[in-house]
Amino acid sequence: MEDDRVFSSVHSTVFKESESLEGKCDKIEGYDFNQGVDYPKLMRSMLTTGFQASNLGEAIDVVNQMLDWRLADETTVAEDCSEEEKNPSFRESVKCKIFLGFTSNLVSSGVRDTIRYLVQHHMVDVIVTTTGGVEEDLIKCLAPTFKGDFSLPGAYLRSKGLNRIGNLLVPNDNYCKFEDWIIPIFDEMLKEQKEENVLWTPSKLLARLGKEINNESSYLYWAYKMNIPVFCPGLTDGSLGDMLYFHSFRTSGLIIDVVQDIRAMNGEAVHANPKKTGMIILGGGLPKHHICNANMMRNGADYAVFINTGQEFDGSDSGARPDEAVSWGKIRGSAKTVKVYCDATIAFPLLVAETFATKRDQTCESKT
Amino acid sequence: MSDEEHHFESSDAGASKTYPQQAGTIRKNGYIVIKNRPCKVVEVSTSKTGKHGHAKCHFVAIDIFTSKKLEDIVPSSHNCDVPHVNRTDYQLIDISEDGYVSLLTDNGSTKDDLKLPNDDTLLQQIKSGFDDGKDLVVSVMSAMGEEQINALKDIGPK
Repeated sequence: MEDDRVFSSVHSTVFKESESLEGKCDKIEGYDFNQGVDYPKLMRSMLTTGFQASNLGEAIDVVNQMLDWRLADETTVAEDCSEEEKNPSFRESVKCKIFLGFTSNLVSSGVRDTIRYLVQHHMVDVIVTTTGGVEEDLIKCLAPTFKGDFSLPGAYLRSKGLNRIGNLLVPNDNYCKFEDWIIPIFDEMLKEQKEENVLWTPSKLLARLGKEINNESSYLYWAYKMNIPVFCPGLTDGSLGDMLYFHSFRTSGLIIDVVQDIRAMNGEAVHANPKKTGMIILGGGLPKHHICNANMMRNGADYAVFINTGQEFDGSDSGARPDEAVSWGKIRGSAKTVKVYCDATIAFPLLVAETFATKRDQTCESKT
Repeated sequence: MSDEEHHFESSDAGASKTYPQQAGTIRKNGYIVIKNRPCKVVEVSTSKTGKHGHAKCHFVAIDIFTSKKLEDIVPSSHNCDVPHVNRTDYQLIDISEDGYVSLLTDNGSTKDDLKLPNDDTLLQQIKSGFDDGKDLVVSVMSAMGEEQINALKDIGPK
């Protein structure tokens, strides 16, 4: 029968016989709340929940691999390596070098406190941020940021002297306090430039500001204390830049050299060997590219976790997946990478809970 | 502070060169000190309090002696220095070969420490008027220990 044959053909097209996935792929399973609320188990269930929950689970795995890696794990000893590198106890002490980058909105938010935790306990080695990521950290030591609403009207806020960052509110007065605080520091820096031949760079300025703010809630303070460099190549693009502009009228001549900083930043990657390098980048834009570009100088990073909501279709670097960076040599072809398409204010504290913080707790336990 | 090159009249001794005035109250055509130079304000704009900190006044001004343009940005609530600016008229008596002028003061004595002005137009007016034997009165502007002829008043033919 003709109809039977057509039906049979359609049936075999629509209902293609499937390959068995048993044992090859993880099953999709969410958290079963009937077992009660167990947050560590809930977090581990992310991996098998699917979509971005699974990507977050994978990101947690990649960061844990960064943290667990030791030079001793490498079975082959490089022919041209030093005698020191052959020493087993030395090899056991060599850890992955971690670059942390974030855009300013994360410092405006409460993720600032997560970042401060990582810096305070020297869990990251190099930081890159935007100018807003610097000034918002310092300003929060002078006056608080408040929760508002995404839809508060701009004209109304302007009349009240309030600035909106998403659903956060920053009073104008916070920036007046920032100005009153920082202008005398610029005066002092200019004096040191003239009298002691100090050549300031963005990262030296940030270390100085961290020292001057002298407040334990500030990640810049801890970066200064822990001698962790903070790079900010877009230094003029924010309130800090506004203040440099005003200072140039009152007392001209302050010089901030960017060439020394690109030398230092790229050196962090180039001289990382025999360590591996890992990137954790929150948001896109300048911090993302600056870290990726530095790692290009060493033929790419070994681990990369990107957390942002950007997409690729406009060709922006911000939205690009890690594989695009592989094409540029910014990430190694062999690297462990994952991108989580999620607001970093949600994803990053959860990731830190399951990686840095858990491992630190374990380390403290073992020392007791 | 760079060394002052100017001579002070004895009458200036102890007199204040400037007085303080709030930045927000200084207007166009007013006077202001920028980088220790007495200036006339040609442009003022203000920006409200915001991400750049306190509300600010942006001044563009002309040095009243050198005509050089200077800029400053000052928080509007801060005080600025404002120069005392004086104008005095003198009768021109003589022009020496080295470019100094002799002026007759109100009390009958002569003032011999002023140079001819740098401004070409004004310079030519003074020279040609003097050569023509005209009675000339010059206006001298003084501020912050500095003096300069800045205008000529032509009384008429001899």
